[in-house]
This record gives sequence, structure tokens and C-alpha cells, in this order.
Amino acid sequence: MQYTFHNTVLYVENLSVAYDGRTVIKNINFEEKNVVREGRTTGQTIAIVGRSGRGKSTLFKALTGLITPTTGSVLIADTTRGDLNAAKAVREGDVGFVDQKYTLFRNKTIYQTFEFALRHKNMSKAEKKELIKTYLDSWGLEQFKDQYPCELSGGQRQRTAIIEQIFSSGHYMVLDEPFSGLDVGNIESVKKSFNMITSQHDLNTVIFSTHDIELAVELADSIYVIGYPTLNGKKEDYGTIVKHVDLKKMGLAWSQFDTQHLQLVKEIKEAMLQS
Amino acid sequence: MKKLFTPFEKLSTTQLAIINGSWVALLFLFWYIVGKVSETHLFPTLGQVWDGFIGLYNEGLVVHVFNSVWLCLRAIFISIFISLFIAYLSPIPLLQFLSKTVSKLRYLPLTGITFYLAMMINSGRTMQIWVLVIFMSTYLTTSLIGMIKDIPQEEFDHARTLKCNRWEVLLEVVILGRVDYVLEIIRQNLAIVWMMLVTVESILVASGGLGFLIKNSDKFMNHGRIVALQLVILACGLLIDFALVKTRTILFRYSKI
Repeated sequence: MQYTFHNTVLYVENLSVAYDGRTVIKNINFEEKNVVREGRTTGQTIAIVGRSGRGKSTLFKALTGLITPTTGSVLIADTTRGDLNAAKAVREGDVGFVDQKYTLFRNKTIYQTFEFALRHKNMSKAEKKELIKTYLDSWGLEQFKDQYPCELSGGQRQRTAIIEQIFSSGHYMVLDEPFSGLDVGNIESVKKSFNMITSQHDLNTVIFSTHDIELAVELADSIYVIGYPTLNGKKEDYGTIVKHVDLKKMGLAWSQFDTQHLQLVKEIKEAMLQS
Repeated sequence: MKKLFTPFEKLSTTQLAIINGSWVALLFLFWYIVGKVSETHLFPTLGQVWDGFIGLYNEGLVVHVFNSVWLCLRAIFISIFISLFIAYLSPIPLLQFLSKTVSKLRYLPLTGITFYLAMMINSGRTMQIWVLVIFMSTYLTTSLIGMIKDIPQEEFDHARTLKCNRWEVLLEVVILGRVDYVLEIIRQNLAIVWMMLVTVESILVASGGLGFLIKNSDKFMNHGRIVALQLVILACGLLIDFALVKTRTILFRYSKI
């Protein structure tokens, strides 16, 4: 699979977060570059896996700018300056975030939700209307546009939450356990939505967490395992990146799931168990 | 039959209606029998209550009901305005003390307050309203602060990810996002105002109202009228309660409280 690395899209340096003096995550460092494949638009799909309580949600809150890190920084590509290498510190609203409950405004219908998400966009009313219509049609939500979140199924809520974040934020989307509690049909729907996001723009980057390692290996082109590190024979009680797998370099990204993928699943699970 | 005595057993609407109807019939039967066999007649018979009701109706019960409901509505309107203002400002660190203090004032006895209110307010009717307002605002503020505290963090984070500044978060999540809860809180606290009615309306008898009527009937030991009035007050309270629930469900389709 031919691909080249271009500019950096996500740069996390020495990230630590502590609550009330207790360090939750520490020394998190990683860098993701824009992957360009000839002849097709390919965004980045990054999976963060790890056992419960290792700091995945805290890392996500830091990546989305919802919490201020105790140390370190999160930089994303600044697409507004025209310079491909321009970067900026992440602020709330720059990165879309879909939580496990697919939280939406309870008092807004799907249509009102999308209108609200587009309120800052420099587009005419007619353009916004057209854009909403396009998404409602292609994501199968047209007939539910006047319904409130409490009247939607889990899958419909999730699709609404994803589109809302696409409309509001730039190229980045963080999803906290998007597959938890979904049936087979809805899992396929989310997988399709990942593909729809990443196939729209080269800079589009989806970061998700999951406990389903097979799914992570199937969907992601880069996987980070977050866990408690062992230093000098002693297991620490803060989360950090303990393993990184680049599926592109291994030739496993964007390909059919086979025995090599299964072997990788075993390795990742082993790393998780040890951390 | 066994189902009727099994915990958590689901029954049909018709079955439930029959059970509820039977309870009401039993209550009236018990009342009728007690009235027949009791020699002391401390509790009025059904006939005495009915006579009391007819007497009250002829003396302008409807006007008194209207007076009481109007008093309540004015008090609720003012107190909800004050309470919402205080509660909506409670997320601002500098003003948290204010909202917490108002909430704590619900433990303050009313007796001392009425004295100071009487010094400040000339009109008896206005004083009745303000006694209710002061009393109700403390409870409403407490409930509204509780409502804000119960909003999940995810909802605030969600608004922030959509580029809402902190004031927009307050507007979208707390104010607009919880309007239906405000109606529900009014409904829950309405019972307190309704309960206070007798006390407050007895401050100024010239203004009339259900409280005045019940006080007057109590003075003359007219138990038939007292019970009739209590039933009227109960019915009015339930009617307002029903109206508020209906208003909430009609105005806010998404409301599933």
C-alpha cells in the first residue's frame, strides 16, 4: 500500500494531568502525521486502548481542550493560516468530542442541533440548509430531523452526535468508546461513519477508544496502548503510553483482517494485561 | 386475584381504575358508617359536609377560591422570578454565597419576618403576597440549585465542544435546556404555598380567600364547613398540579421527567 507522510496533524508533548494532587496520566508523548495515499483521500484513524482506569477519558479531555494539562501541550494543525506546517495549541471547540452517552442538547431537534452546530460557520442560510440536508440524507436521518434526542434510537443519537461535531469542529474528532453497548448493525453503522469522515479530507483525524481490540486493529492505522508503566521493576499508578503500533508501517492498515491482524490483537492484549 | 397482592405486578389501566374507585368508595362508606354510629360527632357526617359546602357556595365560595388562586399565582410568579435569578447566577463563584444563603434561609421562622413586613408594607394584600414570596423563594431556590447541580458534566462538556463560551453554556444547558424542570419544580413547591394559604390569608381577613373562610369556620366550630373547605382546597391544589403537568408535557415534548 503506497503512502507518504506529510505534515504533523497531532503532536502531544510531555502531557500530564493531575486531579487534586493525584496524577492520572503522565509523560504522554506522541506524534501523528498526515498520511497521503495516492489516488484517494485518506484521513487518520487512531485508536487508544487500555484497561479501565488507565486514563483514556482524561487523555481525551486533554486532547479536546476540555481540561488544562498540568504539564505539556497538545498541538494540532492550524489550517486557517495557509501554512501546512502551522500548528496551534488545542482549545475547546477545536476538536469534536462524542462521549459514551452520545450527549446532545435535550431540548433541540436533530435539525435545530445541526443549525446550532453550524452557527459560527461563514456560510449563508441557504448553504447551511443545503449542507444539513445533504448530511441528513447520506446519514439516514432525514425522516427523524424533527425529533428530539429522547425520541431517537442509540444509533440515530450517535450519528447525530457525530455530524454535530463534524459541523462544529475542524478536522479532528475524538470518540470515547463509540462501540460500547451497540448491536451488530449499529457497529457497522459507526464503522461506516468513520470511513465517511476520513474519506472526506486528508486532514480528517478520528481518535477513538475501545475495549474491542479486534475492532481497533481492523479500523485504526495507528494504535496506542495506555497503561501503568513499570519503572525499575515497580508498577506506577499513572497512565502513559506503553506501546505504539503503526499499522501502516506493518502493512496492515486499510487491508482485510487476516491472521497477521489476529497476531497483533494478541500482542496488544498482552501489553494491556501487563500494564 | 393473587396478582393484586404480588409486589411489582403490572395491572391494566381498567384494573387500576377499579381498584382506585373501590378505595374511594370504601372511604366514603367508612365515613358514612362512622357518622351513623358515632355518638360524639367530632367528625362531621357526609350530610353536614354537603350542607357546609352549599352554605359556602351561597356565600360566594367561587369568589374566595378565585381570590386564593390569584394570590397564589402572583406569589409564585414573583418568587420564581427571584429564585431563577439567584439560582442561575449560582454557577458564578463570586455569587455562590448569595444563592447558598437564600437556600439556607428556609429554616428561618416566619413569625419574626411578618412583623418587619408589616412595618414596611401598608397594603394587607401585598403583605400576604410577600410573606408567601419570601417563604416560597427559599424553597424554590433550593430546588433550582439542586436541579443545576444534577446536570451531568457531559452536558456542559458537550456545549463546550460546540464552541459555546461559558455564558452560552449557562444559557443553552442550564436556562434553555432545563425550562421544563422549572415547571416541575414549581409544581413540587406549590404544595408548600397552598399549605401556607390558611396562615397567610388569616393575616388580613378583609381580603377574603379560602384561608379566611376556614379560619372563620374554625372559630364557630362549624366542622361541616371546615371539611368542605379542606376538600375544596385539596381539589384546587390537585387541579393546579394537573394543569402544570399538562402544560409541561404539551409545551415541552422532550420532557420525560
